Amino acid sequence: MAVETLGVPRAPDAVTRTILTKTLWEARRSLIGWTLSIAGVGAMYSAFWPTIDTPEMQQAMAAYPKALLEAMSYTDMASPAGYIGSAVYGLLGAALVVVFTIAGGARAVAGDEEDGVLDLLLAHPVSRTRVALERFAVIAVELMVIMIALWLIMIVISGPAQLEGITAGEYAAAGIQLTLFGLAIGSVSFAVGAATGRRGWAISVASAVAVTGYLANGVFPQFEPLRWTRDVTPWNWFLGGAPLRNGLQMGDCGLLLAMTVVLVGLGTWAFTRRDIGV
Amino acid sequence: MSDLAIRSENLVKRYGRDRGLDGLDLEVRPGEVYGFVGPNGAGKTTTIRLVMDLLHPTSGRLEVLGLVPARDGVSLRRRIGYLGGDFIVNGRQSGAELLGYLAHLRGGVPVARIDGLAERLGVDLGRRIRSLSKGNRQKLGVIQAFMHEPDLLVLDEPTSGLDPLLQQEFVGMVAEARARGQTVFMSSHVLSEVQRTADRVGFVREGRMVAVEPVETLRERAVRRVEIQFADPVSAAEFATVPGVSEVMVADGVLHCRLHGRADALLKAVSSHTALNLLAEEPDLEELFLTYYHGSAETVPAPRAGAHHGS
Repeated sequence: MAVETLGVPRAPDAVTRTILTKTLWEARRSLIGWTLSIAGVGAMYSAFWPTIDTPEMQQAMAAYPKALLEAMSYTDMASPAGYIGSAVYGLLGAALVVVFTIAGGARAVAGDEEDGVLDLLLAHPVSRTRVALERFAVIAVELMVIMIALWLIMIVISGPAQLEGITAGEYAAAGIQLTLFGLAIGSVSFAVGAATGRRGWAISVASAVAVTGYLANGVFPQFEPLRWTRDVTPWNWFLGGAPLRNGLQMGDCGLLLAMTVVLVGLGTWAFTRRDIGV
Repeated sequence: MSDLAIRSENLVKRYGRDRGLDGLDLEVRPGEVYGFVGPNGAGKTTTIRLVMDLLHPTSGRLEVLGLVPARDGVSLRRRIGYLGGDFIVNGRQSGAELLGYLAHLRGGVPVARIDGLAERLGVDLGRRIRSLSKGNRQKLGVIQAFMHEPDLLVLDEPTSGLDPLLQQEFVGMVAEARARGQTVFMSSHVLSEVQRTADRVGFVREGRMVAVEPVETLRERAVRRVEIQFADPVSAAEFATVPGVSEVMVADGVLHCRLHGRADALLKAVSSHTALNLLAEEPDLEELFLTYYHGSAETVPAPRAGAHHGS
């Protein structure tokens, strides 16, 4: 653990050995904050379940227009898996994860480049490919930490919040698909940032993809000619198979993973071919 | 393959509006200290970033330590120590953490060498970088460039931000590197900064190499403005005939003139009077360039209004 010398936390020698561990160490405080926020959202919404699961509330929910509920993915509020799948994983959890990975993807290359700290790293005997991939791996490791924390808190709170019928395996399935979904969106931000060196573009393009993809999952398909859009949005690859109810959807996982691999690969390739910090 | 430490032929880099290189020929010999001098925007940093493989050339050839940066960047950078024009790092870490990390990226550097350099330059590695002055941060930059004793040191305006005492220490470090057989390639927009350390100086202007000269030749050619304040009135005529002195003017007991080359004759003429104060300006790079175009100082036109002197 950290050794305090004159009020300056000294990094253990081991963390300064790779770009991955050094970057994780530098982000440790922010990671704790994100973990508490996302796990906190899970605990809070779970605690509301007993108040949702009443005849009055269900009647009130039924009174909302079906289109609105579909847009919010609130199509099944009557079962714990439907409620938790929409509220915790599908809406607020997903939104926080998307913000986290878009910010991380933009920072991975473009942010450091704009801040001017990338020059020194690239002046060392490390390839740009290694720098880019280790930086992306940072996001993956951080997101896994957050998702394991969320998984643990959901298991713990499941009993007291009367969330019957969801197994630890199903929580894990939803968590894994949310992780892959977050990385897929984050890889858009990463790829644009790595290819252009512009943090602003990375965030704008990835946010546009995330929002359009969200609409393509819940809103566009209500209009018949646009029904196909649901098949090509990462939101559907994440939520469409209802992993919290049905377990891990291998096909959807494959699509999310493929999107990530292709975008990270393209971004890294572009990064190796361009000028730095122009 | 060449035996030169850095060699470029007709190196072109186009980017931005009118920055870049327009056919630069550069030859840095192994073991020498090469001062790369030119006005701001001449292409010094562009050249250095091409050497470091941070930029890719538009056309032309570039070899560093016999390798092509764009192809063998990793193995090449293992043998290079680099200090960029802006040394920017995450300020939340301590100097020791930063240098430990960079040393690991290089496959390890003896801790004693890092501590030795820190002690020599007088920087506390235990302090958070954010809390250090600009000069102390620049020292960390100097340490990370020198700590692995690389074959080639590439330094972009290395002494900016260092106080005069440390500039002296830095000059010593460069001399020691040279004595160990390391090659040093350093840029500056101020001639005097490289004059103290360099064996040869290359002038770059508008993306092209204008001239390469041994540093002694430059000292002979340097043209500088000199002002000397005397206790007693002096006549302009007395100094107008001194070799190397021109544009003599005396006002309020102060002699203003231009000195070309050695200062010896002027100082001997001055010594017959009581001199209260002496001010010699930095030789102006633009003027020095013009001496190359026109061959001699006598034909050098007066400096343009607003011509800027390095500080």
